[in-house]
Amino acid sequence: MAGEEDGEFYLRYYVGHKGKFGHEFLEFEFRPDGKLRYANNSNYKNDTMIRKEVFLTPAVLRECRRIISESEIMKEDDNNWPEPDRVGRQELEIVMGNEHISFTTSKIGSLVDVQSSKDPEGLRIFYYLVQDLKCFVFSLISLHFKIKPI
Amino acid sequence: MANAEVDALDFEDDDLMDEDGTADVDASSSPRAPQPKLKSAITGGAPKKTKGRGFREEADSERHSRLADRNFESLGTDGGPGPQRSIEGWIILVTGVHEEAQEDDLQNVFGEYGEIRNLHLNLDRRTGFVKGYALIEYENFEEAQNAITAMNGGELLTQTLTVDWAFSNGPSTGPFKRKNMRPGRTHRSRSPRRRY
Repeated sequence: MAGEEDGEFYLRYYVGHKGKFGHEFLEFEFRPDGKLRYANNSNYKNDTMIRKEVFLTPAVLRECRRIISESEIMKEDDNNWPEPDRVGRQELEIVMGNEHISFTTSKIGSLVDVQSSKDPEGLRIFYYLVQDLKCFVFSLISLHFKIKPI
Repeated sequence: MANAEVDALDFEDDDLMDEDGTADVDASSSPRAPQPKLKSAITGGAPKKTKGRGFREEADSERHSRLADRNFESLGTDGGPGPQRSIEGWIILVTGVHEEAQEDDLQNVFGEYGEIRNLHLNLDRRTGFVKGYALIEYENFEEAQNAITAMNGGELLTQTLTVDWAFSNGPSTGPFKRKNMRPGRTHRSRSPRRRY
């Protein structure tokens, strides 16, 4: 799969909402130069923003690309996904090879939300990819900084 | 060209940003460059096929500002290229891990090179099988280096493993490597102003 190795790569994921504890969100970004940025903001109990960054090796970026390629998320479209709402929004932006996606949708509580949507197949791919990416990023951040994300 | 744009997005540089979260409104008055949209900065080069509502929405300035702050914590580096030490040890990435591998399999193989302080063997959320990678922490550089040297290209449950460092001191090499970038410095001084 040549697409995993070559060309540009960028990824950003955001999930958040604005409520009585202010703007609470989690966001991370893989930048083309290998920098991983992670931000987690909650004002609950006066928590402060956690912001961490670290450079990743090309090996880690390659694994990230593999996870994305195998998900086939780049073939999907957010046209029929639930729109972001007051409960929250998610954003997934990926540049890989000559494709650039920027998807937005609401928060997804569980697979029930996926099944009842107008595009369960596409949304399921998004739902699982996001979990796999979060899992990868949380491992990286928690091992490097010894903090527990979320 | 892409390099210049990336430079403009280098938030470690000083200039007119405030210390709090409102920094970004000032960015346009930076003398360095007009604040580029993240999108335009990352799509320098060949035109891309774009897809998604994110392109149709009027980009709220906020989206481009949350991560556009320079107050991100990082562990200091001692300079020079190469792997970066994590807070309690050295982390390696193992890829090509068989989906049915168990933690014990990795313990047995990678425990040979030193005591494993931490092992993350994450699962695919859909299938419940191993996702394909493992992150392993050793206390000492030598242990991690020996594991990489010995096991990169090695085999586990019929699959070939790739083993490498997880964290580095500076930008990854490859097409995005910045020219004249000295790796390993967390605090960069202001670039000299252009002379006329």
